[in-house]
Amino acid sequence: MFPKLDPILHSELRLAVMSILAGVDEADFTYLKKQAGATSGNLSVQIDKLTAAGYIAVEKGFKGKMPRTTCKITTAGQEAFNKYVDALKEYLQASK
Amino acid sequence: MTAQRSLQIISETFNNSRKEILRGSAKFFMLWGVLLTVISLVIYLLWHHTGKPDWNLLWFAMPVIGYPLAALIGKHNKAIPQNEVSKMLGNVWTVFGAFALTLSSIAVFLIPMHVTLIIVIIMGLAECMSGVLLKNWPIIIGGFLLGVGGAVFAMLVKGEAQLLIFTLGGVLLLVTGFIMKLQYK
Repeated sequence: MFPKLDPILHSELRLAVMSILAGVDEADFTYLKKQAGATSGNLSVQIDKLTAAGYIAVEKGFKGKMPRTTCKITTAGQEAFNKYVDALKEYLQASK
Repeated sequence: MTAQRSLQIISETFNNSRKEILRGSAKFFMLWGVLLTVISLVIYLLWHHTGKPDWNLLWFAMPVIGYPLAALIGKHNKAIPQNEVSKMLGNVWTVFGAFALTLSSIAVFLIPMHVTLIIVIIMGLAECMSGVLLKNWPIIIGGFLLGVGGAVFAMLVKGEAQLLIFTLGGVLLLVTGFIMKLQYK
C-alpha cells in the first residue's frame, strides 16, 4: 500500500515554492515569483494555502518604503516536504 | 501530476534557486579580487619607486573601501536569499578578514611579525575551503597553491616583491568569481 501524497504539496506551484524554501533561510515574494515563474495573483493564492496548512510562515514588512513579504518554511512544512519526497521515491521504485 | 513530474519540479526549482544564490556570491569574490589586485599593485609600485615600506599602511584602505562596497552589493542582492553554502562562504571570508585585520594591526603597532607569510597561508586556506564548499577542484587546488606556494615565496623573496603574491591572490579571487558565474549559469 503506497502512502497518500499530500494534496497541499501535490500542486505544481505550491511544490515549486516549497522546493525553493526548503533550500534557503527565507525568501521574499519577488524572488519566489521569479524562480517559480508565477503570476503575483496565483502565487499569493498558493502562499495563502501553504500558510493555512502551517507549512510556511509569512512576514510582511518594508524594504525602504516598499512593502516586502518574506516567506519561510516551518518545521511542519519541512517534515511534510520530506515525507512527500519519500512517498514519491516509493512510487517511482514500485513503477520500475 | 505524475511522480516523475513532481520530482522534476523539485529538482529544477531547487537547482535553479541554488544557482541564482551562488551567482550572487560570485560578485563578492570579484569585488575583493579587484580590490586586492589593485591595492597590492599600488603599494608595490609606490614602495618600489620611493623605497619606503611605509606605503604598506595603505592596506588599511582595503576594508575601508571594501566593506561599504560589499554592503552596497549586499543591498542590491537583498532579494536573493541565503542558503547553507552562501552562508558558509560568507563566514569563511569574514573569519579570514578578522584574522588578517587583527594580525596586521598587531604587526604594525605592537609586535613585528612576518605578516605576508601569515596572511598568504590563511588566505590560501580560506580559498581552499571555498573550493571545498563549492565542490570545485580548480578552486581547491588554486587555494592550496596560493597558501603553500605563497608561504615559500614569502620566505624566499624580500622587500616589495613579496606583495606580488597578493596580486596573484587577488587574481585568484577574481577567477574564482568568474568560475562561479560560469558554474552556476
